[in-house]
Amino acid sequence: MSRLYDTIEPSVIDDEMLQRAVVEQGPKNEAGKLAREEGIDFADVTSLRLDFKNILKIGNLWSFKSLVKLQLDNNIIERIEGLDTLVNLVWLDLSFNNIEVIENLDNLTLLEDLTLYNNRIERVENMDNLTKLHVLSVGNNQLKDLENMKYLRKFDNLRTLNLTGNPIKNDAAYESYIAAHLPDLEYLDYRLVDQKTREAAKEKYDIALQELEEGERNAARKKEEEIKKTEELELHKAAYVEHLNDSTLFDSLYAEDPEGMKLNKIPTVDEMISNYREEFNEICREIFEFGLKMHVERQAEVKMFWECVREAKETNKQLGINKIEEFMEYRKRVLPELLIEPGENHEEQEAHEEYQKTIDKLWDALMIYEMQLVDQLEDVIKEFERAMSDMVANFKENVSALFSRMRELENQHNEKLLEIGQMTLEKIVKGEVDDDIPDEIRDLFVDKDTLNSAVTSSHDVHLMKIDNREDDCTTKVNTWLTNLTRTIHEQEEIERNRQRVTEISHLIDHLKDDFENNYSAEF
Amino acid sequence: MTEEDKEGSPPVPKIEVNDDQREEIDKKSEVGSQIGNNLDDDDEVKEAEGDEDEEGEGVEKGEDEGTEGEPDELSEEATALKHELQKIIVAPPMNPKIMEDDEIVDPEKYPESYRVNTNKEKLCLLYAASYTRQYAQMYAKRKPLLLKPINECGVEKLVCTTIKPTLLPYKPLYDWKGAAEFVADYLDFVTLDPEHEPPKRLRSPTTILEFQRANCFEYSTLLVSFLIAAGYDAYVVSGYATREICIMDETREVCPLLSKKREASKKEERPPMKRYQVRPPKDLQSKFEIKMKKRSDEAKEKERRKKLEEEEEKDIEAHKPLPDPLFGTRVHSWVLILAGKRGVEENFFIEPFTGLPKAVDDPEYLGIESIWNNKNFWANMQSCEDGLKGIQYDLGDISSWEYMFPSNEKPELKLPDDEYAADNLEIEEEEEKDIEKHLDIPKSWVKTITLSLRDFQTRCPSGKKTKLYKRAKLERFAPYLMDDGIVSRLSSFSDRELIDLEESKEVYEHRADKLLTRDRNHKTNWITENFSPGRPKHLKKHIYKATESGPESERTMIFFHHARVNGLERRLETPTEMTEHFKDREDFLFYRHVLFAQRTKTFGPASSGTSPRTILRIVEHYHRNEKVPADEDISVLTFNCADKKISITYHTCDEKISASTREFTKPDNWDDKTAPLIFHEAEMHSTFQVNPHDRKKKQVELYQLLEDLLKREEKSKESVRASEKEVRDILEVRQQEDFKVNLDVSVYDVQRNDKAKKLREELERRAAEEKLRQEEMEVDYLAPFLSLLDDPNNIQYSDALKLSEECLRDLKHRLIDKANLIQARFEKETAELQEKQQWYQRNQVQMQKDDVNSYLAYCSEAMFKIHILQLRLDRHKEQAPAKYMELQRRLTNDARLRDHLKGSAL
Repeated sequence: MSRLYDTIEPSVIDDEMLQRAVVEQGPKNEAGKLAREEGIDFADVTSLRLDFKNILKIGNLWSFKSLVKLQLDNNIIERIEGLDTLVNLVWLDLSFNNIEVIENLDNLTLLEDLTLYNNRIERVENMDNLTKLHVLSVGNNQLKDLENMKYLRKFDNLRTLNLTGNPIKNDAAYESYIAAHLPDLEYLDYRLVDQKTREAAKEKYDIALQELEEGERNAARKKEEEIKKTEELELHKAAYVEHLNDSTLFDSLYAEDPEGMKLNKIPTVDEMISNYREEFNEICREIFEFGLKMHVERQAEVKMFWECVREAKETNKQLGINKIEEFMEYRKRVLPELLIEPGENHEEQEAHEEYQKTIDKLWDALMIYEMQLVDQLEDVIKEFERAMSDMVANFKENVSALFSRMRELENQHNEKLLEIGQMTLEKIVKGEVDDDIPDEIRDLFVDKDTLNSAVTSSHDVHLMKIDNREDDCTTKVNTWLTNLTRTIHEQEEIERNRQRVTEISHLIDHLKDDFENNYSAEF
Repeated sequence: MTEEDKEGSPPVPKIEVNDDQREEIDKKSEVGSQIGNNLDDDDEVKEAEGDEDEEGEGVEKGEDEGTEGEPDELSEEATALKHELQKIIVAPPMNPKIMEDDEIVDPEKYPESYRVNTNKEKLCLLYAASYTRQYAQMYAKRKPLLLKPINECGVEKLVCTTIKPTLLPYKPLYDWKGAAEFVADYLDFVTLDPEHEPPKRLRSPTTILEFQRANCFEYSTLLVSFLIAAGYDAYVVSGYATREICIMDETREVCPLLSKKREASKKEERPPMKRYQVRPPKDLQSKFEIKMKKRSDEAKEKERRKKLEEEEEKDIEAHKPLPDPLFGTRVHSWVLILAGKRGVEENFFIEPFTGLPKAVDDPEYLGIESIWNNKNFWANMQSCEDGLKGIQYDLGDISSWEYMFPSNEKPELKLPDDEYAADNLEIEEEEEKDIEKHLDIPKSWVKTITLSLRDFQTRCPSGKKTKLYKRAKLERFAPYLMDDGIVSRLSSFSDRELIDLEESKEVYEHRADKLLTRDRNHKTNWITENFSPGRPKHLKKHIYKATESGPESERTMIFFHHARVNGLERRLETPTEMTEHFKDREDFLFYRHVLFAQRTKTFGPASSGTSPRTILRIVEHYHRNEKVPADEDISVLTFNCADKKISITYHTCDEKISASTREFTKPDNWDDKTAPLIFHEAEMHSTFQVNPHDRKKKQVELYQLLEDLLKREEKSKESVRASEKEVRDILEVRQQEDFKVNLDVSVYDVQRNDKAKKLREELERRAAEEKLRQEEMEVDYLAPFLSLLDDPNNIQYSDALKLSEECLRDLKHRLIDKANLIQARFEKETAELQEKQQWYQRNQVQMQKDDVNSYLAYCSEAMFKIHILQLRLDRHKEQAPAKYMELQRRLTNDARLRDHLKGSAL
């Protein structure tokens, strides 16, 4: 190919080329004629072949959104690029080009068949997202590293692999290495991987494989755990009680409270603190559990609501469908007679009116059903809203009670701390205290005011933290409720009704138009 | 009772006799005769009698009565009485049918246990006699118990020992229903004669199975034998029943096969109300009107029902049986199953004649005298004045049930009354003693019941049985008996005289065409045929009119759709329509309706087979294919062939109620395959899109769609034609099958499988031939020498000696000859080998390689031969003396020479 490179002018993928290709490869004969007349939309094309075009650079393909199969073989392409928009691609042929690196394929998640035969690729890489890959052909390339083939292990669906004509093929262990490391592979280099080879290979690489698998398993487990953790956190967040099942909140109390930290270092405060911490966490846990419980209840309620709404809509839909079907039967029966039978003008007129009346009746019936549904849903939504707001109020009430207890606890702690502080101050004043009190604490016990202000500021910080947490909780739950009710109102009441009414009107209009057109056509 | 039995009656034990016991004594005398005739050891008899006395006393003490005299004292009187009685019963009333059987019966044919009583049995019989006596004393008014009737050999046997629990290797018999049905089917019943007395003879189950005729007691005994073996707590009941039961008159009963239908009753559970369930729309109908309508409907319904009931009553009244003069005294026997075993939750009866279960308070049963199983015998102590209502079946309750053998398995019912308890205690002590004396029921005298598979399958005597019910007739046939494989036919009639046939249900088995049942309504002439899986076209059910059995007429065919490639489940036809229902098809098609043009009536020969009907319209319905958007997913596809139109209705979207439609008019040149289709959108296509803002389809797409639709139409037509052909094929095949019915024989059915049978017979024949040949092989070694004698049949001593000598000499000679022969061959081979070796050594130098090889081969072969000969010689030498000895032994034992030679040996 490189010999052509110098002599022939590389071509660019331009509109003309694409248009030509599309028309050439589009429908034939009569359909082709029609297509040409009408013009073909690039967005509708599912398969495109651009081979032997001397293309150097891929581009200008962004409009082929529904492309499933793309052939760019036998060109002089040097880089894989410009394919990001072709997300529906299943089949990609880039063989006989000058590609050096596999790249820019991350968006093509549906890709099953990738052909990179006869290029200059040295490594298999950058294909992490191609989970559906079934056939991979990288024959006649510059793959030198057998170890690199381990990369292909992550493709669970890979069954056919072509590596022929690569330097790694010369490795004596090539076949067994591939067979051992890709146990699901069925065809390697155009040949079936038989059971015997596979077993022999497996034996050969037994230990290495086991290590490898162990590593993979660990990684998978880790990932799983992480996912689980995130999921849990999501759940807690949805219940508005995240991080309340451990001592995060308590720790946060002292995070921005240097005085408090110092105060805690006063002798005998240790024990008190640990007690305080325990009780505090106990309340946190209570909130947490309560929150989760309420969350489950809310979810169940919401689920039930949607189920009922769905059922109601389904029943109503069925009613409407039946009505329409009934009319269609009538129409099938009556319309031909109306159109064909030329009778007395008066009679015709009557039949005409009769038909029109039936259409009106259909409209009435459908609208009645719709109004019924609107009423029904309105009632139900109201009831649901009431129940939900009750639930949320209940939740808030309980949670705020628990937070009050927390504040109470803080107050008690504060008082005790103050007491101890004063006692310590007295001791220090009297000089009864050992010298082992750190200097920074000593600074606090300069006089009563300093001590008091330190304790109070610590207390304030704590209270603020607790208040914040409570606010956070209640605000979030309020927002959720408002959002939910708004969505319900918008979607289920207004939007749905609007759509249905439009639909009915459209149908009736169509029926009327249809009749008028046909009827008048008879004259 | 045959004449021989009555002759020569020896002394009988002396017994006080009252009227009821006469027959008992009569039998007893026979026992005596049996004892006298058949036993060598008189001591045993005495011992037995002694035991019996003790037993009797034991029981007497227990029951506080004693009337037995000493047998020795009264023997003469008894003898006299016996003679007298014999005169009285000159000709006991016998059932003529039993006489028939008796003529066939040869007592010698039966095993010994049938003809003779063991000592233990005798003991028990005596004990039973005592029991009967006491019973008769206490309840003089009641009929004598059936306790020890005679069996087919005229020997007295205890009823309990006539039960022989046997589990036959046929699965249906493991269940009480199956067993009862089998017994009811297998036997023909004989009424008791007289009808108000228990029978005098109770034959063994084996005999009954052989003759297939039995009275109710024999029925029950056989059934209980099966049931006990199958693990049920079953008893033979002796009692009284109505005439209808006793003569198995079921003409007033609804056939059980017909009544089963009515069971189906559906319970539809309403799902619980959900909290946000929408309220139903307001009902604007007048409540009052609904109410009034309901009321009038109810009244009508009531009237109708009343009318029906009245009719029914009238009908019953009209066909009421005549009053029975013997009501309440007709003796009958049936089976009682007590709860507890095999998951039986409630006590119930089984009527042996019909095999049907009956409630324990069934009004058809009027009273119970006694019940027994293979372990014990209980007399009923409860009053049966009010039928069987209130009868307790707690067999441990001695106030209700008087047991005969103390080894009562049932728990004793302790009474709170102290005195009574004391009495009881005493009784128990006595019983303990009794048990120590090991008086329990002897082993059953009946041979193991056997039944060949063929007999089991034949079921009814000669394979056929007809039962009459109320407005129904049931005929049963054994499998393979009838040429068309029919096994049962249930005909229902509209009248009681069974004249006006309404419906018949036929059941078939083993038919090669897999026909299972054929129901025919004779009024409408509709026939329903059911088939089992495995037919070529997977036909499951075929409903058609007998009068119009040809193609293109009204019919329904149901198929095993899982087995069919096209998933066809049902095909309904009328002369101008065909509707097909499909299931689980990959193209989501589930319904296809075809409308044909009316056939113009042509005079002359019918041409229905030649030209297919014109298709006017094909309508196809499809299920939703979730992979395609609803607006693209065809729901109803109509090919209006007559109008050249194709219309499509798409599925409705989730949120919509109307469906998009599209209609094409076929271009004029649609059936011209060569030219491209001419397509003008405006004239040939119209559409309604539910969503008006959706993109309109392009010309090309419409064109392609039209092309596709035309192809589909072609395909649909093809499949319609294929369906028509299939129907014709099926009908043709069915006709042939019905014309000549073939029955399938399982490869495991050794009786009926001709191929297997032939093979087996061939094997047997070969075995027989082989045996014959072997017999021929055993040559008479004396024959050549005997022929030299003047009179081979009369061998003298001297001849015998001579014969044996010659015989032995001849053998010796032959043995030596043989040894010599082997020796000669050996020498010859050795000589040849040596010669060859010499020749080889001479010519070794100028020999070719091939020659050397052949020489070597020869050498090894020769060596082998020599080796074998040597072996044979050695063995011969070893065996020869043994052979000689053997002949000598045989000669001494030979039948013809034995006497002489033994004498000489001595």
